[in-house]
Amino acid sequence: MASLLTGKVSSGMTQPLPSSVASDLAEIVGHEHVITDPDRLLVYESDGLTAYRRSPRAVVLPSSTEEISAVVGLLHSNGIEVIPRGAGTGLSGGALATPEGVIVGTARMNRILKIDVENRIAIAQPGVINARLTEATNPYGLYYAPDPSSQSTCTLGGNVAENSGGPHCLKYGVTARYVTGLTVVLAGGRIVELGGVGRDPYTTLDLVGLFVGSEGCFGIATEIELRLLPITEGVRTLLGIFESVESAGRAVTKIIASGLMPAAVEIVDGPTIEAVEASVFAAGYPLEAGAALVIEFDGTEAGLDLDADRAEQCCLEEGAIEVQRATDPEHRMKLWRARKKAFGAMGRIAPDLLVQDATVPRTKLPEVLAGIDNIGNRYGLKIANVFHAGDGNLHPNILFDRQNQNELELVERASKEIMQLCVDAGGTITGEHGVGVDKREYMTLVHGPAELEAMAAAKRVFDPASLFNPGKVLPAVEVKEANESRSN
Amino acid sequence: MTGAPAYEALGQALDAQKERLLPCVHCGFCLPACPTYNRLGNEADSPRGRLHLMQAVVEGRLDPSSEAFRTHIDRCLGCRACEPVCPSGVEYGTLLELARETATKAVPQGLPTRFLLKVLGTRALRSPFFFIGRLLRGTGLAALGATVLPSYGPFRAIRLVLAMLASTTRWQPMASEEATSGNTDSGSHDVSRRSRVAVLLGCVQEGLFARINSATVRVLEANGYEVVLVEGQDCCGALHAHGGDLESARMLARSNIRAFKASGADLIAVNAAGCGAAMKDYGILLEGDPDFVQRAEEVALAVRDVSEILASSGPRIGASIPCKIAYDHPCHLLHAQGVEHAPITVLEAVPDAEVHIVAGAEECCGGAGIYGITHPELGGLIGGDKVSAVRACLADVVATPNPGCMMQIGAGLRLEASNEGVIHPVELLDESYRRAGFYRAGGAE
Repeated sequence: MASLLTGKVSSGMTQPLPSSVASDLAEIVGHEHVITDPDRLLVYESDGLTAYRRSPRAVVLPSSTEEISAVVGLLHSNGIEVIPRGAGTGLSGGALATPEGVIVGTARMNRILKIDVENRIAIAQPGVINARLTEATNPYGLYYAPDPSSQSTCTLGGNVAENSGGPHCLKYGVTARYVTGLTVVLAGGRIVELGGVGRDPYTTLDLVGLFVGSEGCFGIATEIELRLLPITEGVRTLLGIFESVESAGRAVTKIIASGLMPAAVEIVDGPTIEAVEASVFAAGYPLEAGAALVIEFDGTEAGLDLDADRAEQCCLEEGAIEVQRATDPEHRMKLWRARKKAFGAMGRIAPDLLVQDATVPRTKLPEVLAGIDNIGNRYGLKIANVFHAGDGNLHPNILFDRQNQNELELVERASKEIMQLCVDAGGTITGEHGVGVDKREYMTLVHGPAELEAMAAAKRVFDPASLFNPGKVLPAVEVKEANESRSN
Repeated sequence: MTGAPAYEALGQALDAQKERLLPCVHCGFCLPACPTYNRLGNEADSPRGRLHLMQAVVEGRLDPSSEAFRTHIDRCLGCRACEPVCPSGVEYGTLLELARETATKAVPQGLPTRFLLKVLGTRALRSPFFFIGRLLRGTGLAALGATVLPSYGPFRAIRLVLAMLASTTRWQPMASEEATSGNTDSGSHDVSRRSRVAVLLGCVQEGLFARINSATVRVLEANGYEVVLVEGQDCCGALHAHGGDLESARMLARSNIRAFKASGADLIAVNAAGCGAAMKDYGILLEGDPDFVQRAEEVALAVRDVSEILASSGPRIGASIPCKIAYDHPCHLLHAQGVEHAPITVLEAVPDAEVHIVAGAEECCGGAGIYGITHPELGGLIGGDKVSAVRACLADVVATPNPGCMMQIGAGLRLEASNEGVIHPVELLDESYRRAGFYRAGGAE
């Protein structure tokens, strides 16, 4: 693992693609949409998690379900692994290539195929950017609820693969709740349709539910049917300023325990405030604050002010220095931008970062945050926290410099300790970024052999030869067993 | 890693910029802002991909003379739409210029680019070059060629150049002798500020759009500024820097810094977005030149787009010119300088001029120097989308404060036989002032 952080992947060199396969791929998608030049493939060696690097053998950029089907059929019939990729913004290395693999990218499949206003449904290709769906449906008074912080660039296909969350998933739920149907290309290129709003997916075996969050290990979603929501009438956004992350954490517990139902509750800690305030997305968070809490309520106008007043009271009771309220939509956007761009802004305070993702019971937030702080101090590492406090989804950002070999080792160890801390507190190893390649070795912290075998068995149903995104999610030992049972 | 010595030397210019590359955390927020990525879907044609290639050169994993590096660095429009969306504030524009320098040192640019840079950067060549241009325009040969030449093979580029040239003609309604009307406040406007303003004349601007320079001077004077003439100024060097010829860019910058410092002006008004963006970055361009860097920074701080100066003092309202205007943002004004509203404020100082922002105005028009000639396919695609968006406004005229954009959009409209004119915002304000009588003896006082 430590060797992975240096960017050099030890297991196996990338093999060039046989030229007959390359020319057949070009036949399907067009010459300019097949990339085999090793220099150009460098660009695809990482996704949003740059700690891992490995070039694929090729990148193919199809433009339709049929093309994806033909590409997957061709590659699988040659025993070549397929790694699906959207915008490459994932933070668990889910789109990292294997030495034998070819990346199938959905960047060109970026059309919204249908907006059905009466049924509040949209059908989109997987390369459509999350925020574009909301932009396209806003004129009809509708929007798409799951809002990952990377929503301005991440794609719906990637959201389906990772079952993405976002700040407002506290009230509205994650991606799975919004996917009503899928067209999927399975192993060997078979095209199947799962669910579909007209077919009531919940009264039969819920294969849509099984597919969402499968991290590209089951197949590639090529058309996605999504539920839309009506835009809420009113919204109130508050910014609470605290002396410490712990007191902000206590305020969160108090707000939820009081029976309020905020749409989002987010914590931004001191080091993160430093980063975003130095960026173009500065929102006027006080630099000396230990933590800022962004709280949002939405719904019908009546009652919103009362909810906001009660939340403000909770903050003050837990020692908030001040509580601001967004006065207009522009101000609200500004407060949110600072939260949503925080990850990218970290580049201003450190050359490299490892974003962790874990979930703990909300009531444990103060003690877990103190524990993370303690781990950071012990290893001499700066850890910036920015996270979905309302549902206990932590994002410790460990800041480091890749050029410092010693630090790399420490990052690895600190990272593992943080995971253990969260699991011990009754949480789990990922809230929304997925397991990918980064967390697979942590799977045994939370899952026993029987559960892991059940997951491996589910993968075999969809992908018996393990040719879709191998080496992800399941720990290495499980994959090995799966391969053995395949050859037996 | 395995780089030969020569190859390491080539990477040095970029290597010195490690600090500028490191803030990129690969978040990918820049992808949807990039016109080439949006159309090609290839990450090597995205800002993040290009930065990754630059990083690979610095790390010695990629040869800067490789086809991949040269192609994808060259294919960038340089629109810098990726900069305002970057949470880490990566200085992409500066890095691109250094990458271009690195790439062109490995393998020189194509002949059309080298020819153009040589001509624009050399005063003695510039005059005859633009004289011929004006001759082709004035005789109507440019317009004729753009109409009759076929759109394939070698004619395609010639046809485009002629259409660009023809599009630099003054918008006809502006030249009409309208009766003076709607004179508003010629006596009441506060003209006591009297900042001393120098005007950059530029190369293309002086060669083909001298009328815009004259309009700039008149409009500034009518708003109470004292305009000083600056001898010895030259081309700003923007196109050289964008093309990777940083040495020529620095040479031109030094001439301008000497000239503008000597003028004693408080502000330097620039009416071409590309030039303004380049001059505001003079400090960065000359950061390795201890003799000049301080003066470069001082000059950079004095540079304003002419619309910024006019908007800051709330431009004087002129006479009515009823027309429907489609406004398009030049990338080097919106993204590189962060100036969004000022040119619109200038247009709105003309009563009855109705301003519509072109849909997708924040995206590049595909002008980007001579992109349409060096990248006909992609440039045509990007330019075509812009022309469609402009036409959808059903406007009389399109306004955009940069000569490259004016020519690119103007040529696109002309080749589609569409009738919209093209103007710089100060041209409209100037005509409005003329109609208001501000320029008659004592009118401006």
